[in-house]
Amino acid sequence: MKFHWFAEATYPHLADDFPKQGLSSWVSTPPSLVDPVKVGETYRMFIRLMQQADRDGFDGLAVNEHHQTPFAMTPSPNLLAASLASTTENAAILIIGDSLALYNPPTRVAEEMAYLDCVSGGRLIAGFVFGTPMDSVFAYGNPPPELRDRFHEARKLILRAWEADAPFAFNGKYTQLRYVNTWPKPIQKRPPIWVPGSGSLETWDLVIDENYCYGHLSFSGLHSAKPMVDAYWNYVAERGGDMNPHRMAFTQLVCCAATDAEAEAKYYEAVRYFYRMNTLDPAFTMAPGYTTIRSQQAMAAHLQGAPGLRPEDRVRAQNGEMSFWEYDEKGYIIAGTPQRVRQRLRELATDLRIGQLIGCLHMGNLAEETAAENTHLFGTQVIPHLRDLWGDQPDHWTPPISQTRIAARAQAALEAAE
Amino acid sequence: MIQNRMAVTGFDVRVWSGGSGAPLVWLHGFEHHPGAAPYLTRFSLTRHILAPEHPGFGASAGFDRLTDLQDLILYYRALIEAWDKGPVDVIGHCFGGMIAAELAVLAPGLVRRLVLVDPYGLWLDEAPLPDPFLLNPAALAAAKYCDPAAASRETNAFDPALGDTAAEYRTINLTAASKFMWPIPDRGLARRLPYLTSPTLVVHGEADRLTPPAYDAAWAAALPHARTARIAGAGHLPMVEAEDSFFDAVEGFLA
Repeated sequence: MKFHWFAEATYPHLADDFPKQGLSSWVSTPPSLVDPVKVGETYRMFIRLMQQADRDGFDGLAVNEHHQTPFAMTPSPNLLAASLASTTENAAILIIGDSLALYNPPTRVAEEMAYLDCVSGGRLIAGFVFGTPMDSVFAYGNPPPELRDRFHEARKLILRAWEADAPFAFNGKYTQLRYVNTWPKPIQKRPPIWVPGSGSLETWDLVIDENYCYGHLSFSGLHSAKPMVDAYWNYVAERGGDMNPHRMAFTQLVCCAATDAEAEAKYYEAVRYFYRMNTLDPAFTMAPGYTTIRSQQAMAAHLQGAPGLRPEDRVRAQNGEMSFWEYDEKGYIIAGTPQRVRQRLRELATDLRIGQLIGCLHMGNLAEETAAENTHLFGTQVIPHLRDLWGDQPDHWTPPISQTRIAARAQAALEAAE
Repeated sequence: MIQNRMAVTGFDVRVWSGGSGAPLVWLHGFEHHPGAAPYLTRFSLTRHILAPEHPGFGASAGFDRLTDLQDLILYYRALIEAWDKGPVDVIGHCFGGMIAAELAVLAPGLVRRLVLVDPYGLWLDEAPLPDPFLLNPAALAAAKYCDPAAASRETNAFDPALGDTAAEYRTINLTAASKFMWPIPDRGLARRLPYLTSPTLVVHGEADRLTPPAYDAAWAAALPHARTARIAGAGHLPMVEAEDSFFDAVEGFLA
């Protein structure tokens, strides 16, 4: 099993009454609420933490793309990835991912990802995303029914640009280029490809047909995700797809500390901040045609009668009204001593058949020193104890060079301990 | 009014038609086809009216055949030619106004007289249109009607027998509309309006907040030879909220 370090690059200085102001934290948030100097400090903190995660034995450093939101201030994940690619040694550079429909022309993605693979010595994971409605159709103005079509045209162009050994002409519906000749090429002939989704059948078909790694990237934990993830694996099985758990990624907030009581003292405020300050205007969460009617019906059927989370619990979690241990019990966070965390992660990964865990080791307005401690405890006292999970199955979805280096490093640490 | 299907260019759409007399085509707005609306029936008393449902809306096929607005305009040229009544008068409401104006530019010989009712198609930086896809139902009603009680008189073409829910019917319609109106319902029509030669009437409900009064002036400026009519006591749907005033203005112009 693999473990990737991740955090939403959340602006940590929003006023406590921000949620009461009736503002959306996406698309239309007043920029006056954010101090660019403090944003810069926040970015540098995330770079330091991810450099540490590389030293502490994580398999990947995950960066993502969002726009016009203090919840995740990473409009170009490739920029953050570039800071990491040249200053880390082992971990995969996990871009999860570039919103393909938003790059014009999409050869930009082929070029920048190739650059990152070269700089990192072949450690790139190429994540391709459709983007949330907030990002792709509201902030970036794509007509919703065109989004998938644009994504697929861009995806085919990028893959061909990486593979081609001579210039070619590309006459697409949205992109026309007479001379595609991407320089440089990635070191990995074809970097591993991950595509996250939120339950659309069209995305499930894509990752099954192409054998990509699928990602269920939610922040609500096991109980919320279980009906949809179970439905996903059933769908893979029905279609005769690859059931290898290494082609399933899942996000999970993690709060490690020396004692359970210390975890509550150090993380509770940051967990509440993370959920409270994400005050998304519901109108920005949906757009006609973003999800097809076929997928809407399938999602409703998957959730019908499934245990899952109660709607009132979702509201309470959003409003910061749960106790620390209720967040934990409901699955939003996995908290406590490394012993407790690894036991619960083993249950989660087994239950959901997950081979790629994307741990959110920083959240909300967490202090850097706490996130550093979290990272160190997780890297040294959680990851080594869960390596055996799915160990009998090959992992074709992380870069070979990262696998080799991290395994060698773990072996060296083991020998040093003996 | 009779509901039927009409096949042109390899796919079919729903059409409502009726009456006899001079041919008249009604092109509906972004939310839905109005079905056998009272005002369509009233036109059919004096005219031969054809009111197609746009490709991709409701139970009309063809959405995957369209990539941009030009495809849609060429489709309507083919549909009206297939109707085979010679030049026709065209009334376009809302999004249908945008289509009708483009059609008159593209096929001047086909459009005799043109009526644009609270049309989309122009954009003014100094008076940004509200985002029709973002408004919640209450805000949409407030923008649309002079008197919210008029909502109960607005008709649509939802047919539960077709198997969709009302919510799905709305999603289908708005998805198709978004192709041509998202993120801004301006596909360059202002550049082409100088080529519009059909006699034109631009009708605006005075209380319309979806395409507000500033746009009334913009259309008048873009079409210096057009006539304009402002309908009191009506918002975005003057044919619903002030039917008699609407017919006075439109029938006077088309006569």
